[in-house]
Formats: sequence, C-alpha cells, structure tokens
Amino acid sequence: MRPLPSVEGADRPFWQGLRRREVRVQRCGNCGAYRFPATRFCPGCRSEISEWHAVAPSGTVETWCVFHRAYFDGLDVPYTVIQVRLDCGVRLFSNPVGVEPGALRIGLAVEAVFDDITPEVTLLKFKPRKGQQ
Amino acid sequence: MARADSVAVVGVGHTRYGKLPEYDAYELGLWALNEALADCGLHFEDIDGLIVNRIPDYQRFCEIAGVNPSYVSITPGQGRFSGICIETAAALIRDGLANTVALVYGNNGRSGGDRYGGAGDTYGSGGGGQWFAYGMTSPGAFHALMARRHMELYGTTADQLGTVSKTFRNHAALNPSAVMRTPFTLADYHASRYICEPLHLLDYCLINDGGVALILSSGARARDLRQPPVHVRGYGMATQLAASSFPPDDFWRTPMRAAAARSFRAAGITHSDISTLMIYDNFTPTVLFSLEGFGYCGDGESGPFVAEGHLALGARYPTNTSGGHLSESYMQGWALNLEAVRQVRGACGERQVKDCAFAHYMAAAPVVTSIIYGRQPS
Repeated sequence: MRPLPSVEGADRPFWQGLRRREVRVQRCGNCGAYRFPATRFCPGCRSEISEWHAVAPSGTVETWCVFHRAYFDGLDVPYTVIQVRLDCGVRLFSNPVGVEPGALRIGLAVEAVFDDITPEVTLLKFKPRKGQQ
Repeated sequence: MARADSVAVVGVGHTRYGKLPEYDAYELGLWALNEALADCGLHFEDIDGLIVNRIPDYQRFCEIAGVNPSYVSITPGQGRFSGICIETAAALIRDGLANTVALVYGNNGRSGGDRYGGAGDTYGSGGGGQWFAYGMTSPGAFHALMARRHMELYGTTADQLGTVSKTFRNHAALNPSAVMRTPFTLADYHASRYICEPLHLLDYCLINDGGVALILSSGARARDLRQPPVHVRGYGMATQLAASSFPPDDFWRTPMRAAAARSFRAAGITHSDISTLMIYDNFTPTVLFSLEGFGYCGDGESGPFVAEGHLALGARYPTNTSGGHLSESYMQGWALNLEAVRQVRGACGERQVKDCAFAHYMAAAPVVTSIIYGRQPS
C-alpha cells in the first residue's frame, strides 16, 4: 500500500480543494502571505488570522531528484520528485507528469494535474505548461 | 569559578567504529569518555560540566558514569549539534560556569536499525510525513535536490562529487580506525548504484556504531595536562531555520558567511593561515557548498576547485584527513573535531598535515557552525 496523506488534519481544506480541482492554500489575513502546510500563526507576521484561498494552479520547477532506492511499499522506483514554487510563492514537493527527468529544467513552467489515487485522496502533481519543453 | 581567557581541547577519545551490537549508546559514550580522560590524565571527579549528544537520557548517563557535574545538558542526535556543543562548552568555560567540560556522544544507530528515510523519517522541520505520498523522504534526497540545482546552475559534475568521495577514501586508507579503507577509482564511483540521483551510494555517509568524547578546559589548566592543548581559537554559529522544510536557494551561504566571519575574527587569522579542513560530509555535495560558503572558493566554483585536487593530503587544504563520515565513521561531526585536534597536536602519523598550526571545522546545515583550532592560545 502506497503512503497516503492524512486528509483530515489542519490541511483538510487543501485536500478538499484538490477533489474540486482547486489548489487552495492558507493566506494570512494580516500580511497576505501564502503558506502551506497549515500553521496557526503566520511565520511572516505571526498573525493568527487566516483563510484558505484558491490560487493559480501554476508554478515553476526549482529542482528535482530521482529515487532509485525504494523507501515505501507501493511506490515503484525509479520515480522523480520535483520541487515546485507555485506562482503565489508556496513551495511543494510533487511528482512530474508527462515529462522525463532528462527534460526537466530549473524554471520550467508547470501546471497542476489532479491525480485521484483513492476515492478520498487526490494528489497535486504537475505537467509542463503548453509551449514548454 | 574564574572566567577563562582561553579554552582548549585537552582530551579526546573514541570507541572502535563499526558494528558494536553488544553496546548501547550510553556504553559507547562512556567507553569514549574513559578514553578521553585517559588521554589527558584527568578523572571523572574533575568533570564539572557535561553535555551528552545522541545519548537518550542525561540522568541515566550520569548514573552509569557515577558523576555529578555542576552543569549538565542534553542535545538531540543531529549532526549539527556537535559544533553547537563544542561552542557551548567553550562559552561555559569562558564564563566560569564550568572548568572542565566533557562532551559525550554515543551512536548505536547501525545495530539499533536506525533508518534515514521512509515512514520513520524525522529529518527536517518536524519530519517529512507531509510529502511521503509523493515519495519524498530522507536527508539524502534533500541533498540530492540541492546537488541537482548546483549542477544546473554552475555545471557541477558527478566526477567532481566523486572526487570528494575518492579523496576522503584515500585518506581513510591511512587511518587504522576507519571503517572503509579500500581506495576506489572514479569508474568505481560511477558504477556504484544510485540511491537518489544524482547521488550514488558513494556520495552517502556511512551508518555505523561508535562513540566520541572530548574534554575541554581552560587554557590555564590545559598547560599542566598530559597532551599539548589544542586551543579553540574562534567559533561562530548562525542559522537559516525559517522556511527550512525546503532546500535553501543559497545553499546556506548566508549563515555560513556569518559563522565563518565570526570564527575568523575571533581567531585573528585568515583563510590563508588554515592548514587543514574538517568539513561535515553527510553527503558529498555538502562539501562543495561548504567550500563556497566558508570562503575557500567563489560561489559556484567548488566543483572545479575539488577537481583540481586541493582537498588531498599534500595539497593546499587537506580535508577530512580521517576519511570523514564518508569513509571513517558516522560520528556526526564529533570524529571530525577529534581529527582536527589530533592534526593540531601533530599526532596523525601517516596522514599528518605538515606544520599544522590551524584546523577549521565547519558544518553546513540549517544550523551552521564554524570552529577554528590552533596550537597557540592567541
């Protein structure tokens, strides 16, 4: 069984958003900075006021690596992990879709792919935006 | 107790390294402490400060060791804490809170089955569980991400990473205590399997059991002890912990520059005075980032710098002359500090750096430490 995220904790709005094909992250009600995963206080201004906000489902690749050693049952190696910075500034680890590791580049523009892996869990993956590659 | 004008490492000790399933972390620490006390001729009763690292419980350790230090503390089993403990010990002695501080490290991770990746992964900021569904886990992968970025930005090559690993293995071949002593070629490096590409098996540190202990005291007291004192001439620390779940854009250069500047200022010397480098080598790319951040080469120039051979014994900056974490022993910075002390003592035998007046220990991580050891108090 592959590792599944807990979709019921503080990040529940994020996981619910993915079911609806939205990328929702926390936005500080005071300074406006976006953040994910959830924290009660904003790390920038320490305000406790926040809301979950749908952001543009697009970003750029910052770096990547290819796992050859298996750490989890249900995830076959080799597989690629990418580090993505969403246009709103939030960083994520994810997997690329439809692009080989050899074609990845720093700054590659990507857009969200919503991957329903179970009836409850959708993962946020990324494919190159049109016109890239 | 009086404040101290200078601080010195007066005793060092370590266990055998490798698989030691009959010892737990407490016993490995106590074994090393016995060795360190014998090294300097001090006794358990002389220890008035104690900091344990990776040992699970300070109270249990003190009970087993039969000591009642006036200052005691405990630190988590992360490699960045070796430098933190040494800097703390130096500050305690300078401030007069303790006169003789024992730093004791015990690691039974090999026999205890510690894993660095997968469901129990605790690396990073609160652990990486958030990203397991995407397969992201392990400190190795974190450094693989950084290495790939360095390669893309600066043209750093696998050969350059392999040169770091190969060089340290050549050094380990001269170290009877090292776990891995058989030299290898760059072809062997390339043939070693990928763990997390671009990093091969030979880019990863060892996992083994062992213990290390250091005894620090005031420079005044150090003069009367068995070994030549090795003075803690300067130290600096800086952190980059905000947003540290992800690799830093600047390869930790900002905190490295700050820590390096503090340590060099305190030591009153410059890079050109340094004889040997001890660089925290959890993975080979960390060595490259450190050479840049601590100022031994320009930003992005570390790949060609190592390829030119500067880290080898006999070259300008012999580095990790013990073999480091990659080949000697996974003692999370402690054995590198021990090696720095032995180099400055001139006690390294075949692998001794000539006229070793100053050794520089450095660790690149979200907590950066920089320690300069010297033969003279100032």
